[in-house]
Amino acid sequence: MQQFKPAWRDGYYRAQVEAVRNLKSDMVEVILTPEKAWPSHIAGQHIALTIEVNGRLTTRVFTVACGSSFHRETKNIRLITKVNNEGAITPFLSSVTPSTWVNISVPKGSFTLPNTDKPVLMVAGGSGITPFIAMLEDAIENKLIHRAPIHLLYFAKPNEHVLQSELLALQKRTNNFTFALLTRQKDGDVEAHLSHFADAHWLVCGPNTIYEQVQKVAKLVEAPLDSEHFAALPTVNIGSLSEKETFSLAHNGQHLAVNNQKSLLSQLQEAKQPVTYGCGMGICHQCQCVKKRGVVRDTRTGELSDSAEQLIQLCVSQAVTDLEIQL
Amino acid sequence: MNTGGLINTKELQEAPSQTDAELQKATTPSQSISKPDYAILEAQLDAIKSEVKGKIGAEDAAYIRRIILIQRICEWSGRILLMLGFLQPVLWVAGVLSLAAAKILDNMEIGHNVMHGQYDWMNDSFINSKRYEWDIACDGASWNRVHNYEHHTYTNIIGKDRDFGYGLLRLSNDFRWRIKNLWQFATYILLSVMFQWGVSYHEMAAERVFFGKKKNNRKNQVTHSELKKRFFSKGARQLVKDYVLFPLLAGPLFLWVLSGNLIANLLRNLWTSTIIFCGHFTGDVETFNAEDCKNETRGQWYYRQALGSSNIEGGNLFHVLTGHLSFQVEHHLFPDIPARRYREMAPKVQAVFKQHGMHYNTGSFWKQYTSVLKRIVRYSFP
Repeated sequence: MQQFKPAWRDGYYRAQVEAVRNLKSDMVEVILTPEKAWPSHIAGQHIALTIEVNGRLTTRVFTVACGSSFHRETKNIRLITKVNNEGAITPFLSSVTPSTWVNISVPKGSFTLPNTDKPVLMVAGGSGITPFIAMLEDAIENKLIHRAPIHLLYFAKPNEHVLQSELLALQKRTNNFTFALLTRQKDGDVEAHLSHFADAHWLVCGPNTIYEQVQKVAKLVEAPLDSEHFAALPTVNIGSLSEKETFSLAHNGQHLAVNNQKSLLSQLQEAKQPVTYGCGMGICHQCQCVKKRGVVRDTRTGELSDSAEQLIQLCVSQAVTDLEIQL
Repeated sequence: MNTGGLINTKELQEAPSQTDAELQKATTPSQSISKPDYAILEAQLDAIKSEVKGKIGAEDAAYIRRIILIQRICEWSGRILLMLGFLQPVLWVAGVLSLAAAKILDNMEIGHNVMHGQYDWMNDSFINSKRYEWDIACDGASWNRVHNYEHHTYTNIIGKDRDFGYGLLRLSNDFRWRIKNLWQFATYILLSVMFQWGVSYHEMAAERVFFGKKKNNRKNQVTHSELKKRFFSKGARQLVKDYVLFPLLAGPLFLWVLSGNLIANLLRNLWTSTIIFCGHFTGDVETFNAEDCKNETRGQWYYRQALGSSNIEGGNLFHVLTGHLSFQVEHHLFPDIPARRYREMAPKVQAVFKQHGMHYNTGSFWKQYTSVLKRIVRYSFP
């Protein structure tokens, strides 16, 4: 099948790379043309993108950085991401050639523009701007924005705000949208800016630090809050292996506390979970399962796994972060 | 299976082709060979593995995809040619050969290696040890349990690795001689002819699902009813596909296609059986007892893998058609490294063995095969 349809995979949608552009030094924009059967997204949702990196299918989640109206009109969607040089996928994105076939998932997530008559406050940190661009595009296109004003606080490092011209263009199209480009070094903490918006519905997207600050204030002023925040890459400290640490292991809708001292297999067995197993030394692949997220350590080599979805063998894997697996 | 006298048959390493008398002599637990320094052996073999692991990537992914494409082309051209036999019988012969090649590629270079997890790193849900289902009567999951787990973990440990002799053949003095061993050469020929069914039935035979005394002390992760269900459903699927469906599709050429499929399956069975016997049952291959693998270190495990298997020398096409099981020694040392990499690993492994005074068992196809036949005949007698 794949001979006729490159990148055809059961359970995935195909998309063809239309263009790849560098926005700023470390930001890259990818335009994709999903196949016709792809169910369009709601602005703010994300997709899992799978590309082949050195023979290995690698998957990462990206917010769709355009409204669904853009998709309807151009048949394209775009993704914007920060390039993490240590990352498994982003350093390779800028070298993906147009017309390459990749896989995308159905759009997922419920971080979308709330159906409310209240004013809306958007707080973006760094590349967390992307879902807001999508929401604003659609809100203006679908005339939703006339109901109540939207204000955007966009935090980024000095001179690293992207898509400024698009924000200006959006602002020109409606009187109800305003935005402020802020840097935390110059303009102070996120909290300082929030006090004026106590009666608004808050949306926040960005690194964990920003999210925590906004959440704290939201609780105080009882503002409704929707969020999407990324804990960047889980911080992994190999030196701490001698210290016993406990993580949460989610599998088939259940949760289990696991530590970093024993293999996942032995801890699942102790918890009487149904798990097939074999040699216990990484040879036979009987206890292999899909890790949906989190990082594990290979007990044979000390190697750390990728943080996204991949196959692992339970008998030679130890938890290094919280994990989710599919048994 | 009698596992009574767990005697170790370490054989003299300096004599690659032993006479029967020599084999007989070497049946007591032997201290004849100096053991290697396991820690150094482990470090050296690990180093070979990690060096190759670092190179695995796009090239290997492209290779397995290319082999799958070639296999598909062979299969479909084979099936089409079989139907053109009435035009020119030579087309039918070409069809049989092409289909047999497809089945061999599917079983050896693709199925065996993919199901070992050699390509799991690709994250491709089709080319994956858990998902791949091969064109053979044996259910993939059953094979994974018996072969990947038992055979590769407990290689040649009498009583634990049920691949040694397949419960049918007496291939060392670890087993008591019985009258049925007198005609075990005929049993061997029959096993080779029916090899896919032997492989398919292997787990059930060992579990005594249909015949014999059930062992109570065996911990099973699969119920007998599940084993039976999988055995019959996979077997039936293969029978219907090759001997009903495709022949029926050929209409009036029913018999041409039926006999073609039969011969293609037979060729595949003979080939796979022969290659596998040459990898495991040559004269110099050693057996071990359960004591040998208690608290075994990785180095000791490597040592046991090394002496429990043998290589066959040959050309490029030969290696591909054996699924690189012609590098059985490397395969047993590194079962989940993509098999095409065994070629570059072999000289390094051989050098390490040499340094430790370990016998690197290799030879031409005919040399190894003769040695297998001799072994089967030798142990036919007490």
